[in-house]
Amino acid sequence: MKLRQAVASLLALVLSALPLAAAGAVDIKEVTTPLGIKAWLVEDKSVPVVTMSFAFDGGSASDPEGQKGVTSLMAILLTDGAGALPAPAFKQRSEDNEVWIGFGASVDRVSGTLRVLSASRDEGFELLRLALTEPRFDDDMIEQRRAQAISSLDQSEQRPGAVATRALMGAMFAGHPYATETSGLRDSLKTLTAAEIKARAATLLSRTGLIVAAVGDIGEAEFARQLDRVFGGLPAGPARPELPDWTPPARGRSIAIERPVPQSTLQIAMPGVSRNDPDWYAAFVMNHILGGGGLTSRLAAEVREKRGLAYGVSSGLRNYRKASLLVISTATANEKVADTLRVIRAEVARLRTDGVTEQELADAKTYLIGALPVSLDSSATIAALLYSMQVDGLPRDYLAKRAKLLGAVTAADVRRAARRLLRDDVAFTVVVGKPVELPIEP
Amino acid sequence: MSGPSRAALLTFARRPSESFTLANGLQVVVLPSHRAPIVTQVVIYKVGGADEVFGQTGVAHFLEHMMFKGTATVGPGEFSRIVSRSGGRDNAYTDFDVTGYHQTIAADRLEMVMRMEADRMANLRLAEKDLTTERLVVLEERRMRTDNVPSSLLDEAAREQLFGRHRPYGMPVVGYVDDVKKLSVGDLGAFYRKHYAPNNAVLIVAGDTTPEAVRVLAERHYGPLARRPVGPRRRPSDGGKDLPQRVIRADARVVETRWDRDYLAPSYRMGETQHAHALSVLSWLLGSSETSRLWRALVVEARLALSASASYGGASLGLTSFGFDVQPAHGTTVAAIEAAVGDQMKKLLDDGVTPEEVERAQNRMLAQTVYSQDSLASGPRLYGAILSTGGTVAEVDDWPKNIAAVTPAAVLAAARHVWRDDGAVTSLLTPAEGAR
Repeated sequence: MKLRQAVASLLALVLSALPLAAAGAVDIKEVTTPLGIKAWLVEDKSVPVVTMSFAFDGGSASDPEGQKGVTSLMAILLTDGAGALPAPAFKQRSEDNEVWIGFGASVDRVSGTLRVLSASRDEGFELLRLALTEPRFDDDMIEQRRAQAISSLDQSEQRPGAVATRALMGAMFAGHPYATETSGLRDSLKTLTAAEIKARAATLLSRTGLIVAAVGDIGEAEFARQLDRVFGGLPAGPARPELPDWTPPARGRSIAIERPVPQSTLQIAMPGVSRNDPDWYAAFVMNHILGGGGLTSRLAAEVREKRGLAYGVSSGLRNYRKASLLVISTATANEKVADTLRVIRAEVARLRTDGVTEQELADAKTYLIGALPVSLDSSATIAALLYSMQVDGLPRDYLAKRAKLLGAVTAADVRRAARRLLRDDVAFTVVVGKPVELPIEP
Repeated sequence: MSGPSRAALLTFARRPSESFTLANGLQVVVLPSHRAPIVTQVVIYKVGGADEVFGQTGVAHFLEHMMFKGTATVGPGEFSRIVSRSGGRDNAYTDFDVTGYHQTIAADRLEMVMRMEADRMANLRLAEKDLTTERLVVLEERRMRTDNVPSSLLDEAAREQLFGRHRPYGMPVVGYVDDVKKLSVGDLGAFYRKHYAPNNAVLIVAGDTTPEAVRVLAERHYGPLARRPVGPRRRPSDGGKDLPQRVIRADARVVETRWDRDYLAPSYRMGETQHAHALSVLSWLLGSSETSRLWRALVVEARLALSASASYGGASLGLTSFGFDVQPAHGTTVAAIEAAVGDQMKKLLDDGVTPEEVERAQNRMLAQTVYSQDSLASGPRLYGAILSTGGTVAEVDDWPKNIAAVTPAAVLAAARHVWRDDGAVTSLLTPAEGAR
């Protein structure tokens, strides 16, 4: 019941304003294996399941020139056969043991998840070891995944949301590797060779920079043993070369892309704030008041609740290793694009000029402090949290400190963050659809 | 075959539950889980899009939106704001047979959300002003989910053929645009009074609580609500006319052809219900993953398709469907796909299925129910789906046992029963210039 105590102590912070010292530390253990692999573990026996999330340093942003998409394709192919087992046999053996293994890539990382019933833990970790250390990359599977990847890229060209995201990333990150999406480019996907895919795996699947988090029905000693088995055979390797720094464009602009749909997608992006910036918590609270948290934000009130301009409208902070964004997104009928943009811009300006009320600030803080423990209702969400804490470079006792950090944010802090971030002159606006009026320049 | 034993899977697959009924007819299910001091409350009403009539489609879903617009004591939007202030989250959903409202929150706030949920069960205030704005929101939701998405428009047209135009399951839950535009405060109020009553609802509480505690709180907050007359729910025992049908949508927004076929099928409640569990097993062994028959034959061996799957959902008050979904590989004709799927169906009907593949499918289905217990959201959803379609708690609890009891002969009999030409709709989504 260690997890229970951990979540209880977090909730106590929110609901009864206990002195922070009384909250106690959350019981996240750091396990260091005989081979020197480090991982975080929360042991919990309430359901006979183990979930492990892990990531290797380096993602699609470091795809070699002319090989855009190779990291993503390589990640998918890791579960398509390993050791003596071709893809069908590998998948059959996974299913027969109720083991689920999946990989994916982001711009910065290759990440994976193992989910296994505790009765077949041993088999689960063994299959994962095979996938990571002896992937086959057979030609027939490469062709199958290549065709699927190209098809899904083609289809995404017709989805307004996907088109908008692609255009926004392309514009904000012009000249930087983040400009190309993880899924890659059609032309490079077509020509990727088995040798290039294998070379990519050899480069990225390394113990250096490895992040591992596990939750569930497994003890420390066994977990350490399994970690050495799975990751111990990987090379230690040199640290990944740094990506180039990103300089936000000096001026924003508006981009309109036509698609034959009745509803246009709108996205507005501005440079954000990095996770270790002193203004992070103020920006986090500000974003929540502007467009976080479902129907309670200012944007939801003005765009949806008062005017019925959209079903969903939100803003979010996005952090990459070398860049940060604040992105506002919504979708509205083609006839209402200009109206919706006007309302959103007015709300952004109002927050920048007038800041927030004490009531808004207090509500945002209690929500943000309380929502985290309430979200920890499955081993997958807990493993995801432990994982993201490591990605963000946070300490294990961060959860106990978080409420204090959020609680200290003042209205003046939020206003400072708003003035710093909410800037029309550097905002990129993308509209995908068939808007009746072209969006007005800011 | 190795892996966890059948006995172990059966033991873990059964979720602890307790249930009771209040004097006013409100059914209560408690799913205790003490891993974290969090609870999920779900109230489901036994009403959905299939309880509507043509001309008023979308009323169940529109009403679901209006349930957040307040009562005499809770202002518009306040429900969500109050939940949010406690760090909780809330939402709602509408399907053909069910409308559900849920909140997840710290365990000591259970009474607070119960008080508010009970309040809007009886005291909803429907104001013209709110309706006018929310109608626009609903229409934007329809644009997002349906009108902007060619495959959703095709699904809507295919359902009209399979279940019949202007009949239950043949009309979209979100509603037709013309209907949504016409719905009035009077229409929504009448629907609310007709279907929202304790004796037409189920309260499900999952998480860190006990049946005793839930009983006390439920008596206090839901107990005083008056029982109301609720009419019987009607579902046709047949499907659309003049099947088989073929529905084609050529759309400028489509770059890759998609081929679907749906067969009318019995559910747990309607038609030849004895086939329902076997149809679930059939869909798993035929088309649930990359080791299933369809994927192996069409994607791996013949390389005709980029993906191939089959699906079946038995939790329906009326008839349901058994579906095939294939994405052809570049250069594969629709005729080749139809022939390949036809071969697989014929092979199965001629040779039956092996005990090994049935056992594999069953084990995976049972493991899935073990995995699902790892989340607070899945239990209420599962009980909600069955209890809103005329099922019982015992039926949910016995599901793993019933799945485990399906034999190869039963799978074959189920396939024979369902795969009939006069119960099928084939649908084709193609690029605007026509099928390749």
